[in-house]
Amino acid sequence: MEYSLYDFRGASLNIQIAIIFIFIAVSCTVIAYLSILTGRYKAYKREKKLANLNPVIDNLLMEHILLNDELASNVPAEQVALPIEVFQLPVFEKKWARQALIDRLIEYRNNVRGSMGEQLRNLYIQLELDKDSLRKMKSRKWDKKVQALAELSNMNMSIADVTILPLTNSRNRELRAAARHAYIKLSKNEPFKFFDVVTEPLLMWDQVELFKIISTTEHIAIPNFAQWITYSSNKSIVSFCLKLVVHYNQVSAVPAVVRLLDTKDHYLRADAINCLGKLKIEDVEEKLLHMYNSQPLNCRLEILKAIGRINSGRNVDFLRQEFLHATDFDVRKHAAKSLIKNEWAAKGLIQELIDTATAENKLILKHSMNPLIKF
Amino acid sequence: MSNRILLVEDDEVMPKIMERILHKEEYKIEHVTNGKEAFQRLEDTNYDYDLIITDIMMPYANGFEILSKVKTRKDGKPIPVIIVSNAGNEEMILEGFKLGADDFLKKPVIPGELLIRVKRLIMQYAK
Repeated sequence: MEYSLYDFRGASLNIQIAIIFIFIAVSCTVIAYLSILTGRYKAYKREKKLANLNPVIDNLLMEHILLNDELASNVPAEQVALPIEVFQLPVFEKKWARQALIDRLIEYRNNVRGSMGEQLRNLYIQLELDKDSLRKMKSRKWDKKVQALAELSNMNMSIADVTILPLTNSRNRELRAAARHAYIKLSKNEPFKFFDVVTEPLLMWDQVELFKIISTTEHIAIPNFAQWITYSSNKSIVSFCLKLVVHYNQVSAVPAVVRLLDTKDHYLRADAINCLGKLKIEDVEEKLLHMYNSQPLNCRLEILKAIGRINSGRNVDFLRQEFLHATDFDVRKHAAKSLIKNEWAAKGLIQELIDTATAENKLILKHSMNPLIKF
Repeated sequence: MSNRILLVEDDEVMPKIMERILHKEEYKIEHVTNGKEAFQRLEDTNYDYDLIITDIMMPYANGFEILSKVKTRKDGKPIPVIIVSNAGNEEMILEGFKLGADDFLKKPVIPGELLIRVKRLIMQYAK
C-alpha cells in the first residue's frame, strides 16, 4: 500500500487524474450494483411475504365476506356487524401486512360491487384501515399521498376540502392528477369546485386526464360550465369548460360562449367558435360571418368549420367564394369540406365546381367528399 | 352432471371470486389466463363447454377473437359467451354483441347478477 501510494505521488498528473477517475468509476459501479441488488432482494422478500399472505387474505374475504350468507340481507351495509375478529390476526399488526390487506380490498372492490362491494368498504372502515390511509395523506412524500388518495377514493371515503383542495393545485403532476381525480369522485355536490382555485394553466395532458375522469365517473353532479366561462381568469379552465359544454351538450351555457366571441384572446375565441359549431347553434351563424374578415387564420378556419357543422345551407355562396378565391390552402380545404357538409343545399353548385375547377381544387373537393377522411 | 364453464381472464382476483361463486352452485370452472391458452383448451376439449366467460383485453388473443372463433364454428353444439370487462364504452359493447356475445357485464360485477345470468344462459342453450 505504501509502495502504491509512493508510486501514485511520483506519477505524472495525467496518470494521477486517470487513477482517481478509475477509482471513482469503480466505486460508483459497485455502489450502483449493490443498490440494485439490495432493491431486488427487498422486492423478492416482499413478494415472498405477499405470496404467503395473499391466499390468507383471499380465504378470509371469501369465507367471511363474499360467501357469507348472513351478510346478504336487506339491512344497509353500514349497519351490518362484520366478523372482524377473524381479521384480527397478529400479522395484521404489521404495517406491510395492513397495506397488503388494503391493496387486496381495493382489488376486490374493482371486481365486485353491490352489497358485497359495500361490505368490503365496511370492512375497511371497521378494521380502521382508513386511519392508515389518512396517516399517509399527512406524509411529506408525494407518492404516499397519491397512494392514500387512490385508497380513499376507491373506498368512497370523504376527505375534507381543506386537505384535498390545495393538492389539486400541487406542482407535482402525479399528485395534482390524483387529487383532482379524488375530488371529482368524492365531492358529491360540487365536484368541479377546484376549478375556482386552479392558478396554474391546465396542460393539454391534464385536460385529457381530467376529461377521462369526468366522462367515466358515474353519478357525477354536472354544473353549468357557463360560470367558469364567464368569470374564470384562467384561460385554460375556460378552454376546458368549452370542451365540457360540447361533451354535455350544455345549451344553457351558449349565451356565455357567445359573449366569449368578443374576447381579445384569439385562441379562446377560436375555442368558442369551435364550441358553437359543434353545438350547431344556427343563431350565431350571421355573427360569425360578420366577424370573419377581421379574424386571424385560426379563427377563420374555425368559422368555416362551424358553418359546415351548423349545416343550415344559408351560406353556400360564401363558402364557394372562399373556396375559389382564398389564397391560403387550409381556408380552401375547410371551405370545401363545409360545402360538402352543406351538400343538401349545394348539390348543383358542387357538381359545377367539380366540372370547372382547376386540378388542385378538384383534388381538394374529391378529398373532402371521401367520408373516411376527417379533419 | 355439472356444467363446464371456461373462464378466460388475466386478472388475479376475478377468477378467484368467480370460481367461489359459481362453484357454490356446482358449476365446474376451468380457468385460463390468455386467449392463446383459451384456443388451445377449446381445441383439446373439442369445445366441450357449456359456457364461456371471457375478458376483452388479454395478451396473445383478445376476447373478441375468442368470441368470433366460437360463434363462427359450423359444427358442434352452440356455446353461449358472456363478456366480462372493464371496458364499458359503447363501441366495445356493440362490437361484442355484433360478434354474437350473449351477454355483457361490466366490472365491477354484482355476484348475484352474474350467477343469474350464467344460470339463465346455460338453461336457455340446454333446451
